[in-house]
Amino acid sequence: MSDPQVALLMLGSFLFVILLGFPIAFTLMAMGVGFGYYAYYDAERMRTIFDNRIFDLFVNQTYSVMANDVLTAVPLFLFMGYVVERANIVDRLFHTIFIAARRLPGSMAIAALITCALFATATGIVGAVVTLMGLLAFPAMLKARYDTSFASGVICAGGTLGILIPPSIMLIVYAATSGVSIVRLYAGALLPGLMLAGLYLVYVVIRAVLQPSVAPKPRDEDIGDVPIGKLMVMLATSFLPLAVLILSVLGAILFGLATPSEAAAIGALGGLVLAAAYGSLTWDRLRQSVYLTVRTSAMVCWLFVGSWTFSSVFSYLGGEGVITEFVTGLDLTPLQFLLLAQLIIFLLGWPLEWSEIIIIFVPIFLPLLPHFGIDPLFFGILIALNLQTSFLTPPMAMSAYYLKGIAPPHVQLVQIFKGCMPFLFLVFLSMILLYMFPQIAYFLPNLVYGQ
Amino acid sequence: APAVVTAQSPTVLKMQTSWPSSDIFQDMAKQYVERVEAMSGGRLKIDLLPAGAVVGAFQVQDACHDGIIDAAHTVPVYWYGKHKAASLFGTGPVWGGSATNLLAWIHKGGGQEFYRELTQDILGLNVVGFFGFPMPAQPLGWFKKEIAGAGDVNGLKYRTVGLAADLMQAMGMRVTQLPGGEIVPAMERGVIDAFEFNNPTSDMRFGAQDVAKNYMLSSYHQASESFEFIFNKDRFERLDKDLQAILRYAVESASTANTALALDQYSADLQKLQKESGVKVVRTPSEVLNKQLEAWDKLIPQLEGDAFMKRVMDSQRAWTERTVFYQLMNDPDYKLAFNHYFPSKIAL
Amino acid sequence: MIRYIEFADRLSAWIGKAFAWSIVVMTFGVSYEVFVRYFLDNPTTWAFDITYMMYGALFMMGGAYTLSRDGHVRGDFIYRLWRPRTQATVELVLYFLFFFPGIIALILAGWKYASRSWRYAEVSVMSPAGIPIFQFKSIIVAAGILLLIQGIAQVFRCILCIRTGEWMRARDDVEETETALAKSVATDSLPHASEAVDVVTPMHHKNNGDRRG
Ligand code: NA
Ligand code: NA
Repeated sequence: MSDPQVALLMLGSFLFVILLGFPIAFTLMAMGVGFGYYAYYDAERMRTIFDNRIFDLFVNQTYSVMANDVLTAVPLFLFMGYVVERANIVDRLFHTIFIAARRLPGSMAIAALITCALFATATGIVGAVVTLMGLLAFPAMLKARYDTSFASGVICAGGTLGILIPPSIMLIVYAATSGVSIVRLYAGALLPGLMLAGLYLVYVVIRAVLQPSVAPKPRDEDIGDVPIGKLMVMLATSFLPLAVLILSVLGAILFGLATPSEAAAIGALGGLVLAAAYGSLTWDRLRQSVYLTVRTSAMVCWLFVGSWTFSSVFSYLGGEGVITEFVTGLDLTPLQFLLLAQLIIFLLGWPLEWSEIIIIFVPIFLPLLPHFGIDPLFFGILIALNLQTSFLTPPMAMSAYYLKGIAPPHVQLVQIFKGCMPFLFLVFLSMILLYMFPQIAYFLPNLVYGQ
Repeated sequence: APAVVTAQSPTVLKMQTSWPSSDIFQDMAKQYVERVEAMSGGRLKIDLLPAGAVVGAFQVQDACHDGIIDAAHTVPVYWYGKHKAASLFGTGPVWGGSATNLLAWIHKGGGQEFYRELTQDILGLNVVGFFGFPMPAQPLGWFKKEIAGAGDVNGLKYRTVGLAADLMQAMGMRVTQLPGGEIVPAMERGVIDAFEFNNPTSDMRFGAQDVAKNYMLSSYHQASESFEFIFNKDRFERLDKDLQAILRYAVESASTANTALALDQYSADLQKLQKESGVKVVRTPSEVLNKQLEAWDKLIPQLEGDAFMKRVMDSQRAWTERTVFYQLMNDPDYKLAFNHYFPSKIAL
Repeated sequence: MIRYIEFADRLSAWIGKAFAWSIVVMTFGVSYEVFVRYFLDNPTTWAFDITYMMYGALFMMGGAYTLSRDGHVRGDFIYRLWRPRTQATVELVLYFLFFFPGIIALILAGWKYASRSWRYAEVSVMSPAGIPIFQFKSIIVAAGILLLIQGIAQVFRCILCIRTGEWMRARDDVEETETALAKSVATDSLPHASEAVDVVTPMHHKNNGDRRG
């Protein structure tokens, strides 16, 4: 059996093992170590059974997750989320939006999507956004009798926007890999990101109109008769404070005052202030927020420990080599190449994460770009759009896993995947639109930095 | 494996660099790889990987020691957290010699043995290493406002790494520590006022010109650096003697190729920065350079507190005193000739 | 066996919760850094290193606590359909196949990695402050040992469940009060499609008992 075949076996057996329901983080770790033991087996170093380099790689990857300055924002944003959640604002907030927008089709999904996009923009970290919104908006939608799949799709797709809409870590890594200026890339990705968010919103409205059962309108007895004056007061007391908190976190990043971690810390502090203002900052609630933060952070970050080890062994075995040979052996037009490249990135997005894809696979395509006359900036934004799907496609559907990890127990992974499907198609649609109208990407960078 | 003699199949070494694939340093690593493969007649192949492919940029030394990768293309400043003496191999005090001079110290002045002692005896690492490509001195960096005098650096929020951080702090700057990917956004946000990276080509590819327009050249903070080529010691010693020699001497060969590539590309990109991006290229005023030397004066006694570092610096000073005296006495004034043939290009 | 499980749950929870408080330190520490940068124009040299160390320690040391409360995400679309006894049998095998090898590797290799760092008293290269990182690398070993202890408790849980047909839940948790709350919320919940809905507000979802149902 050749190494790439072993890599495919590794992937295949992971798909099977995942069905058995063992915690995914440890499954990934063990399979990474197990297959890595084979991959790194070197008879000449074996004095004891521990003389295998996979162990060193494993610890190295673990330390990389621990010392990852980007992931530091995860617990901070979670803490902010738990504090805000415990301040009893969220129930009021969703209730208010529910009422304010009750005449609109799919009103709560719209509110959730907009909040998702805003949070995503602020954090740029999918895990934090999906978990946070999974904690804030998801139960509210279920309570409003939304279809579980539909609500899951909204949260997963909305939360994933964080790696696309700047400031985004993925764009920074792409900039470092491709040499495209990061500020241009930021400017270039902003409109495509907003366009995709817009497509999501349009879809949600149309779906709610055509199939009201997935996003039912509230029954009158659920809401009662709310006069406009009372609604205004409700908006001012529940929507406004949180909107100010979120917008100041967002503003701090966008207007250049703080890094995402710093903005998250300020946001958590703001959450504490807000909770105090609502008179709900008790010792017990603070304690609960702290303990839930550590559990959810551990869930998210141990998954990183597992997936980084797994992915590096998969790459080491050359599981992707098959794909590479496939590309180079063909005589293609630029459009064919672009389609093929994006197809491969899409397929790689099933088992791998964006970081491996950008760091290891994108460099394979980059030297081919001048040959086909494709601008690396444009190519990067297409990839950024495309990699939205990598969070939503099994087996490594991180967004779905994050949501699964914090969702009520009755929510199944299958339901979440089903809900993500329509959003996958919207991603493809946005890529087609971007290809047909490249000005969507070029308008802002050209405006700000010139041609 | 079957006991068939596979004389034809090459030995493959996995070498990871500390650079992204787009960086010119990666191209320089490629020049080394090409030479090794050509010299060995295809018996030795090097699988060259960018930073992050197996481990992070700062982790290549650990990874080499462990054998996760067989070799690394990096610089010692990335592991100075293990021992500050790492900085003496390229980013330490500037005694008056260039990077070429320091590389000569490594080859003929005892540097190679000090390096071996540090990595193998003091740190107990299972690695062997060689040095090549005496880099052009790294610029003082990119500034929002031009530095006209020594007073202008006071209180500036500045990003750098390694011992340079101590140096710039001793000069009165407020040194902020940031990973590479955060530099440009941090400049935009005003988290930092200035930063240094490496050279015109790397800086340009990285987008420095989009966030600052004043490029200050010449500085004593990282003025004698070279690439460090590290190999896992067991893996290296298991190779045939001739292949070991190829790996070692290809470093010397690539050194010249790297220098040619650097001169060509760095200078072309410096012009591009001036002409296409409107960057103002200025030489650092000597007042600021004097301040840097004074800052080194403050740091050197601290560094000498470590017995090993004292020995290394004594050796470097003795080497510099002799060799640079010869160089400075011997070298013609190149600036004079340049100004003669290309008048009014450089105003000094 | 029950006493060991209770001991492990308490140990994991105690350590996990102790490290959990670093989130509060992080919140104020990072906010302080932003404050001194903007209002005193004098950034710290240590905030960056301290922040990622607190984050790393928090999630690593919280791993066992999360495991004791069944908080690590599973692909459970088939698993959840099984009887507890089937779940426990499969899980018992998988603990030996997919848990202990990885965790033992983490402890042993982590030991090698950390002890090397101790030997040269490694400091961070990120700032001139010279923040030590060898103690931070030791967290890998500590977290691994804690997970090992908790993993043994989880194996005992499987054995108990195979005997009794019921999962033994984690005790003395902060969520005890919330479980009561969850039940009251669940009664308000609305019927939803073909499924029984036990919608709870986010604070309740992590409860071990609920997941294992
Ligand atoms: Na995927
Ligand atoms: Na530098």
